[in-house]
Amino acid sequence: MGILPVDPRRQRAVGIGLIGMAFAALVAVLPIAAPLAAAADPIDPSTADESISIWLRERDSKAPVPNVTVEVKGKSFDETFTTDPDGRVLVGLPSGGDYTVTVDTSTAPAEIGTLPAAQNPRKLTVQNTNKNVPVNFLFTTDAGAGGGASTTPSDGASPSPDSSAGSSSGSGDSSGSPAITGGLVASKIVTGIIYGLLLALASIGVSLIYGTTGLNNFAHGELVTFGALMGYLFSSILGLPGFVGIIAAVLLGGLYGFVQDTVLWRPLRKRGVGLVPLMIVSIGLALATRYLYSFFFGADRLTLPNDPSPFLRIGSVSLRFTDVMGAVVALVVLLAVAWVMLRTRLGKAARAVSDNRSLAAASGIDVDGVIRWIWIGGGALAGLSGVLIAYYQSLRWDTGSQILLLIFAAVTLGGLGSAFGALVGSMVISVFMNLSTLFIPDNLKYVAALAVMIVILLVRPQGILGRRERIG
Amino acid sequence: MDFNFIPLAFGEAISPTTAAYALATIGLVVHFGFTGLVNFGQAGFMAIGGYAFVVTSLQFNWPLPFAILATIVCSVIFAFLLGLPTLRLRADYLSIVTIAAAEIVRLSVKTPELTGLTGGATGLNGGAESFQDLNPIPNGQYLGPLHMSAADLWSAIVGWSLVLLACLLVWALMRSPWGRIVKGIREDEDAVRALGKNVFSYKMQALVLGGVLGGLAGALFILPRSLQPDNYGTQLTFFLYTIMLLGGATTIFGPLLGAAIFWVVLSLSDGLLSVAVTNNILPISSTQQGPIRFIIVGVALMLLVIFRPQGILGKKAEVFFRA
Repeated sequence: MGILPVDPRRQRAVGIGLIGMAFAALVAVLPIAAPLAAAADPIDPSTADESISIWLRERDSKAPVPNVTVEVKGKSFDETFTTDPDGRVLVGLPSGGDYTVTVDTSTAPAEIGTLPAAQNPRKLTVQNTNKNVPVNFLFTTDAGAGGGASTTPSDGASPSPDSSAGSSSGSGDSSGSPAITGGLVASKIVTGIIYGLLLALASIGVSLIYGTTGLNNFAHGELVTFGALMGYLFSSILGLPGFVGIIAAVLLGGLYGFVQDTVLWRPLRKRGVGLVPLMIVSIGLALATRYLYSFFFGADRLTLPNDPSPFLRIGSVSLRFTDVMGAVVALVVLLAVAWVMLRTRLGKAARAVSDNRSLAAASGIDVDGVIRWIWIGGGALAGLSGVLIAYYQSLRWDTGSQILLLIFAAVTLGGLGSAFGALVGSMVISVFMNLSTLFIPDNLKYVAALAVMIVILLVRPQGILGRRERIG
Repeated sequence: MDFNFIPLAFGEAISPTTAAYALATIGLVVHFGFTGLVNFGQAGFMAIGGYAFVVTSLQFNWPLPFAILATIVCSVIFAFLLGLPTLRLRADYLSIVTIAAAEIVRLSVKTPELTGLTGGATGLNGGAESFQDLNPIPNGQYLGPLHMSAADLWSAIVGWSLVLLACLLVWALMRSPWGRIVKGIREDEDAVRALGKNVFSYKMQALVLGGVLGGLAGALFILPRSLQPDNYGTQLTFFLYTIMLLGGATTIFGPLLGAAIFWVVLSLSDGLLSVAVTNNILPISSTQQGPIRFIIVGVALMLLVIFRPQGILGKKAEVFFRA
């Protein structure tokens, strides 16, 4: 590798170029986020400030349940709707408040079973300006159980593992391998790939920050949440178009990363604080900022304005517009990052610092400058990841901290310190996690991902793309 | 204005919950302060201990001594499961694996498929019955303005006795040859290895010892409350770290002092905020009040590490991580 006398001006220009490119990609791709017009509802859900998104499915096959009557009742509002072929109905509301959603199970085909009594009718509170508040119903033939929370353990009887297994295997024929169809596998892979791309955006920052400074940043999840909240602030509260929210999330995310490095991490590095205390500082920062978000944005699940109608179908998989665009934007940005890492002086300098900090400094690389750009870039990418995840699922004050361990798993799997490792690790973890739900309960998929990470550390602690010398 | 909360807040210093936090922190001091193991999964040990205790005594109807034995055995097994793959790796790997393992425990016991055994997301009630059956204290309210119930007083007495025993044990161990080797591992692992000591084995022993203390603390933790999986999230571990760094990470009595100060300060701030909010002194809603204690803890954790890493009781020279 040649010596890299990095010209600071040149470096800055490249960094700006990277972010500019990301924006160009965003702007080019997203200004058409306007929702498609919905049917003749009393209140057009695409223009209403508040709406409920109801979705009826069968629990085991996840097949939609169309043509079922659903009643939505609230103060000064009482309407009935019929689910569309996707089992969905989007209901525009006159205002926020308490609503009751009742599914008329007699209009559903008898063979798909019924809804657990605890789930129907469903009461919910819609906050002002909350759109597409999800209300999902899962039909099941498993009459007694199914509610999950409603089942109570019997007191006196000695509950053994098989008695608890009984409740889940009541529909035993579908919980095993027979239910695994090609279509189901394909849909898991597609959702896994999309989520993996979003995860990769966040993971790259963690990996590069680790590589260049040695810090395991436990506060990176909060950078992700920050992006999601900025998207919510601009798109849902201020009502600006979706792409404005996304650009704001990226810009402010980068700014946040810059401020964090300048105010906190650089002074601590200068003081020579060890890596373990830095890690604990990042935990304190994560705790404080996470609950600061909760203080300002509340503890409820928030949603970004989104159009739930299917935009693209791949086989049995139906994707929304934002799912597709999120994946495309993520892919374009990831390619841009790859280009920066491989082809620009900044990227080469970053990899040099990551490989050997002292040697990089000795060959004239402005290590602090590189680290600053890593923080800015990492913050911007985390912000983008956050806002895209908010579109993909929904957001909350702890969205980022919930995926922090997934990010760590991805980064460890791919090899700490390597940007490409982070990408590969994210894809593997995400696809694996989604496929694992074919065999284990949905709520254990995180466990599967974390278990994979531990197993990887056992057999190949340096990760897929890491180098042997990185482990101690 | 109602300032009743002030004596109650100071009463937190001797509550059974504080004892549980102190005991878990002593375990953490063995890991982090003395051996240098960055264990971010102490909440997992507490969950293992709590679940082992409640499930065996409530679901299997085991008598109290066997339930306690189960608590200890499960903590030891968990420590081995954690330690075998990770103790040969570097500190930051250990931290990630332990935090992941704690989350694996929490998510696993929470899963609806295990509701019959663990109570699922709602947890289990009444796990302390067999313990409270032994309560010799007659019903009534004790300790003047604290209005402590007989059950709480009994839990507090047993809890703090356990904490003092643990202090004695750790104090004795740390001035033994075993303690010197373990501290040597903290300072320079390779030097200890060069002296012919089996570093891995010593680390594992320390992990098991601290883990058992964490597991017992988990059992202690559920005495005044029901068993709920979400009590064992990552924030529990970080509370323990704050307590440890507050009192002093390399001291025997630091965890006691740290836990007492931690809970008194949190209860006082909660009480003051409630008064301020209900009397419209502060322009925030009562739901905004909840996050504030976590913000305080987070900021306190950062400031402690940056400005006083040795804590209140510690010596600057013995700070495992030099600032």
